[in-house]
Amino acid sequence: MDFHFIFIQLFNGLILGSIYILLSLGLTVIFGTLGVVNFAHGAIYMLGAYAAYSIVTLLNINFFLAILICPIIVGIIGMLLERSLISKLYKFPHFYNLLLTFGMMFFIQDAIKIIYGPEGESFNIPQMLGGAVNLGFMIYPKYRLFVILITAFLALGVWLFIEKTKLGAIIRAGTDDSEMVDALGINISRTFTLVFGIGAALSGLAGVLSAPIQDVQPLMGMDILVETFVVVIVGGMGSIGGSVLAGLIIGELITLGVIFWPPIATSLMYILMVIILIARPRGFFGRAQFFE
Amino acid sequence: MIKRSLILTIVLIGVLFWVVCPAKAADTVKVGVISVLSGPLAVIGNGEKWSAEMAINDFGTVLGKKIEFVARDHAYNPGIANEKAKELYEKEKVDVIIACPNSAAALAVAQQALIHKKPFISTSAGTTDLIGKRCNRYVIKWNYNDYMLATTVGLWGAEHLGKRWYTITSDYAWGHDLLKHFTAALKKKGGIHVGNDMVALKTADYSPYILKAIKAKPDVLVLLNVGKDTTNSTKAAVEFGLKKTCKIVHALLFGPNIKGAGPEVFADDYCAMSWYWKVDNPGAREYADKYLKLHGDRPHFMAAAVYSATWQYLEAVKRAGTTDPEAVIKALEGHTFRDMFANPGYIRPEDHMQVAKAFLLRAKQPEEIKEDYDYFEIVGTVPAEEAYGKPGQFGCKMKGF
Repeated sequence: MDFHFIFIQLFNGLILGSIYILLSLGLTVIFGTLGVVNFAHGAIYMLGAYAAYSIVTLLNINFFLAILICPIIVGIIGMLLERSLISKLYKFPHFYNLLLTFGMMFFIQDAIKIIYGPEGESFNIPQMLGGAVNLGFMIYPKYRLFVILITAFLALGVWLFIEKTKLGAIIRAGTDDSEMVDALGINISRTFTLVFGIGAALSGLAGVLSAPIQDVQPLMGMDILVETFVVVIVGGMGSIGGSVLAGLIIGELITLGVIFWPPIATSLMYILMVIILIARPRGFFGRAQFFE
Repeated sequence: MIKRSLILTIVLIGVLFWVVCPAKAADTVKVGVISVLSGPLAVIGNGEKWSAEMAINDFGTVLGKKIEFVARDHAYNPGIANEKAKELYEKEKVDVIIACPNSAAALAVAQQALIHKKPFISTSAGTTDLIGKRCNRYVIKWNYNDYMLATTVGLWGAEHLGKRWYTITSDYAWGHDLLKHFTAALKKKGGIHVGNDMVALKTADYSPYILKAIKAKPDVLVLLNVGKDTTNSTKAAVEFGLKKTCKIVHALLFGPNIKGAGPEVFADDYCAMSWYWKVDNPGAREYADKYLKLHGDRPHFMAAAVYSATWQYLEAVKRAGTTDPEAVIKALEGHTFRDMFANPGYIRPEDHMQVAKAFLLRAKQPEEIKEDYDYFEIVGTVPAEEAYGKPGQFGCKMKGF
């Protein structure tokens, strides 16, 4: 076996891992804090891609600006959804919100179908990031490198935000005992809205970044949603470090599968999930309270 | 008293209907279309429905009878297709059902055609089972099939595009089928198959497969996939610069695919097709212009096939002098025709496959596209006998009525 080739492939596996990480970060933060299993996450990811299309193609705004603006737009939509719908169901069992977000997923998909049509939109890599760059050991597309770098910064940023800032401390406390935090005079419901907004924004960003390398169409979030859940479960529901580690492992696992045994490549992540669920149901860094 | 007259009226109306209805049915010819009219694939189905309507309007009347039209949506679901076929044959009393994309759905409708002893012209399903193991006397297969798509690019490509071929195949029955036909055609022309990967449906990142393909140094990469997979795999190939060293060939590439992803993604790629709106068949351009005027788009080959199938069915009714299914099918069997779709087309009596020469298309560069919806250039043709194989090679044993 050619080691140089395997190394190139493993490096390339980082990109798949990066998209998984971006998506699962949002999902896991929302679950860890709000206790909501957000089935609309894939649809929100798709909204990010459509926001990028609208801003870059229709309004002719620079792609780099779109990377800033789109997550904000999607984050605001997320906050509106949380305020108007999801927050009303916190006092009921988990599955109420599960059903609600499941319905929201279909609603968002169909709304996009009505507005933009079902065929999908063309969206390609911005000129500045087109082409490839020589890394010494291989020639690699610039855009993919860019995505890997952004993801690394974001994962670090989210972790620092949760671990080191005051707001992060409130979020962590709110996850453990929201009534207590409320009693200490902190407006916990506003914090929850913000967290949902951040989760949606992260998912929207994943949508923007994958728009140039994928097919932008109303159902694009549907397939990736299942894979994102696998990443979150393997990493541990609610754990940021877990999501990052699981995203990378699953990205590489699929890549290795493609090299050595392609027919099983996409099944490998589910096999891993089954093993994890049997051996350590809480996932890599999850808290025991949910599953054990 | 009021009650009594009311009952009497109802009975009278009932009797009247019973007398009038069959008389009315006998005075018209009724064409039914089953297709996908909702969801992301509606772009296929709407084109088929519109084309059937256009053919009926252009034809006028047949044997002095009015032609009626009815369309049903199967939402790409074989179960619904089965129900709709039953409804059309039994309640709507159609004389023929046309179209029906989705192979499993078409096989279900073919079964209903056999049960009801009425014709079904399948224009948009790719499976060779319709002209093979599960063929029956009431089913005519119009337009392309999977064998033709794979064989045409294999035969033509091995001569014109290069010798070393790498395939990336969608891992389900359709992909496996296409791969089998494709490698057989390649071998016939002395091409070398340097590698293949089976890829799960709806794979988001094709880059590891593309890297593997690059390593094999092929002249041509074949993507045996459809829809979203086509776009994702091609985008990855473009990104990794594969197009600089090799050509890309698609199993199936539609105008709507190109419109969705943008012509720069598919520029200079090749695919096989049974028809393109710029082909110089008699009446093809008139049909395409009329279609553009009515529906704001150019027709795809699925739509054109429905126009042709509808037209040729009505022609066959005229020749037979009756709508009697057996007489009409006999009039179609072994018939040669020239129209906007096939020039000439021939319906093989052995397996009911409508054959014609197949076209090789090259997707244009964005700057070559001078007209709206003009995405392809016709670069070659393959004769009908080569593109569609021999009758009977798919295992059809045609029974009598």
